[in-house]
Amino acid sequence: MKEFSIVLAGVGGQGTLLAAEIIGAAAVIEGLNVRVSEIHGMAQRGGAVVSNVRIGEGALASTVLEGQADVLLGFEPLETVRNLRSASEKTLVIMNTQRIPPTELASKGTAYPTVEEVLAKIHVFTSRVIVVEAAELARKAGSRLTQNSVLLGALAAAEGFPVRTKSLVEALWELVPKKHVEVNVRAFELGCDSVRKG
Amino acid sequence: MPDPKVLLLDASGKRVLLLGNEAIARGILEAGVSVVTTYPGTPASEIGDSISEIASQVGLYMEYSVNEMVAVEVAAGAANCGVRALTAMKHVGLNVAADLVMTLAYTGVRGGYVIVTADDPECYSSQNEQDNRFYALLANLPCLEPSDAQEAKEMTVHAVEISEKLELPVFLRTTTRVSHTRGPVAYGELRKPNLKGDFVRDLKRLVMVPANSRPKHEVLLKQAAKAREISEESPFNKVVRQGAEIGIISSSSAYNCAIEAASLLGLDEGVLKLGMTHPLPEKMIADFLNMHDRVVVVEELEPYLEMQIKAIAKDYAPNAAIFGKMKGQYFPREGELTTRLVATGLSEITNKKLPVDFRMIEEKYGRVVKGLPSRPPILCAGCPHRASYYVIKKVGGERAVYPDDIGCYALGIAPPLGVGDIMICMGASIGVGQGISRVTGRDTVATIGDSTFFHAGIPGLVNAVYNRSKIVVIVLDNLATAMTGHQPHPGTGMTGMHSQTERILIEKVAEGCGVKYVRVVNPFRTKEATRVLKEALQQPGPAVLVFRARCTLMDAREKRRGGAESTPSRISEKCTNCMACIKLLGCPAIMVEEGKVRIDENSCSACGLCVSVCPFGAIEGSCAE
Repeated sequence: MKEFSIVLAGVGGQGTLLAAEIIGAAAVIEGLNVRVSEIHGMAQRGGAVVSNVRIGEGALASTVLEGQADVLLGFEPLETVRNLRSASEKTLVIMNTQRIPPTELASKGTAYPTVEEVLAKIHVFTSRVIVVEAAELARKAGSRLTQNSVLLGALAAAEGFPVRTKSLVEALWELVPKKHVEVNVRAFELGCDSVRKG
Repeated sequence: MPDPKVLLLDASGKRVLLLGNEAIARGILEAGVSVVTTYPGTPASEIGDSISEIASQVGLYMEYSVNEMVAVEVAAGAANCGVRALTAMKHVGLNVAADLVMTLAYTGVRGGYVIVTADDPECYSSQNEQDNRFYALLANLPCLEPSDAQEAKEMTVHAVEISEKLELPVFLRTTTRVSHTRGPVAYGELRKPNLKGDFVRDLKRLVMVPANSRPKHEVLLKQAAKAREISEESPFNKVVRQGAEIGIISSSSAYNCAIEAASLLGLDEGVLKLGMTHPLPEKMIADFLNMHDRVVVVEELEPYLEMQIKAIAKDYAPNAAIFGKMKGQYFPREGELTTRLVATGLSEITNKKLPVDFRMIEEKYGRVVKGLPSRPPILCAGCPHRASYYVIKKVGGERAVYPDDIGCYALGIAPPLGVGDIMICMGASIGVGQGISRVTGRDTVATIGDSTFFHAGIPGLVNAVYNRSKIVVIVLDNLATAMTGHQPHPGTGMTGMHSQTERILIEKVAEGCGVKYVRVVNPFRTKEATRVLKEALQQPGPAVLVFRARCTLMDAREKRRGGAESTPSRISEKCTNCMACIKLLGCPAIMVEEGKVRIDENSCSACGLCVSVCPFGAIEGSCAE
């Protein structure tokens, strides 16, 4: 199997690290080799956060080479754009529409780009885009804090993703605190469905 | 993060996804290490934190020491009583501990002792990107460099064994990408810790007066020669690929990039992977050089391997063509090494065309991110440092100079707070501030965190009193080592073993040092804080203010546990859209939507600072005034 590479891009506090870890744990459940790379420290304080997940025998390096991501999983529109360097026409971009305006916008008085503007930027790299209303689906699942599980669900339903849904759910049960597991599993399933139906 | 209990599983052969640092923690358990000391620092923190969670259950002793020097002292004391020990720190922590380490190499140890240094190429969370492999060279101590989580675990165990065999401390050097990358780790057998040591008086070995040091230096050099033999036989130094087209010598995370880059270019490469990088396996390297016409050294940061390999080549393989970074040609000496950088260097050396058009990617990327708003790390909504800096800037304005220190509060340099003029290393704010104040006569307000104050601030403060420096030191006391993950410190009353202890109050320390003007204030009480800062600046000698308010993240966590909900602050109809809150505070919970100021109720932590500063009393909520 060729390596499968995922870039997860979001903002500190959105649960990107946990989502990346769940993918990694699911890969290990299936006996696959995996690398999950994350940056801690400064980046946790409301800054941009990027995790790289690479699955497969040949996955040694921690980060995804430019243009080589199979999936760019964007937790936030601006951060999706910021990580397009990892994308090419082969890349599937899964993007959450939920915006988190950087403080710079308030102090400079500039507007957050529109969805059309963001999509136009993504289209410079790839036409394969799935837009997910993760906030809406998370609310439906029962907690606005489950957007990361919605996005994981969307990823699980993506073509070519090499880890079985069953293993991802098992990893969710392993890593999400017990009292929040059920709502996260619901969010995960809603994420899956949204892509399969869409 | 996984439950730390995962590390305790007595399940040899089981594969578990672990962070590099967690793998080192597992290695600690498999090696029967019994004393673990640390001072938290990214990217090393999770080693100590994982052990802290399970130490009492396992029966080993763990402590958050006051700084890296003391951490090594405590562990070295235990190791000299025959107990296995380990100290973990970030790269710059080793500068703090270096005085001890250089001579501990002479005394040696009896129980295996490992010093983990986690380097930070690219300065993801550090003030510099020094290459600590040179400490191994400088101190004549063995050094192991893992490239992934599995090796991090294995090498921890191996390092303890080598240390015991040679009676020398051993370095385990990681980088951010090794410490902070998760990978599958196969478990080995657990080994019970043994905390019972015995101290044997042995002056020639342990008392480093010159008459003893001179012979001990000779002993060290003899042990280093033995270490080289170990390196020649080490299972971590080996030829992992036999290709003939070109030879590659590499270590650590650079090795991963090298393998992937060579495969990208379709090279038929021979690879010598080095896991023990001090002392280097001279014979093994000489043989490898003689097997290849051209050899490329792929390493991150300094040309540490390249320098030594070229020296080896001079004696054993004078005709080898060796490519690297010493003349600045093929790979950079600064920043993190990536597959792209290695592939680019290898492509120049081999004249093989890169299969990816990086220039085109950059050109397109440049176009799409043009004008994209940045999202740097900022102080959290509700962070007490924001209140502190608001007060400091209001009182000191552009007139004062603001030496700053290492911690979350360094983020106060960003606008609109804009406090922080010089920031170098742990504790430096207090000393550097004295020099600035001495020669400029300007008001000097040094800001330093609580944990940093205990770590390295106290000698500077004593100096200020002794030498009558006029400086105001503000200790930003948020009751935790917050940036690295809220570890306890001497001012918190808790230990790394999760037991209660004497709480050391910063104000008492300052008074004990002889500071005449010492005040403790909650910075959210901005009027009171303003008053004491003005007073402090009028003092003829040093003054210390403790701005004390708990880290908002810890506060929120506790409230959640207690089920308490705070009511977010709210903009009322009195708001004139003057933007004072935004211009003064830069709080991420305050935003502008369609020209109107709005507080995001999900991110507001109800600290009330904006309620205090609004000139029109237009923000509703509780505040501390």
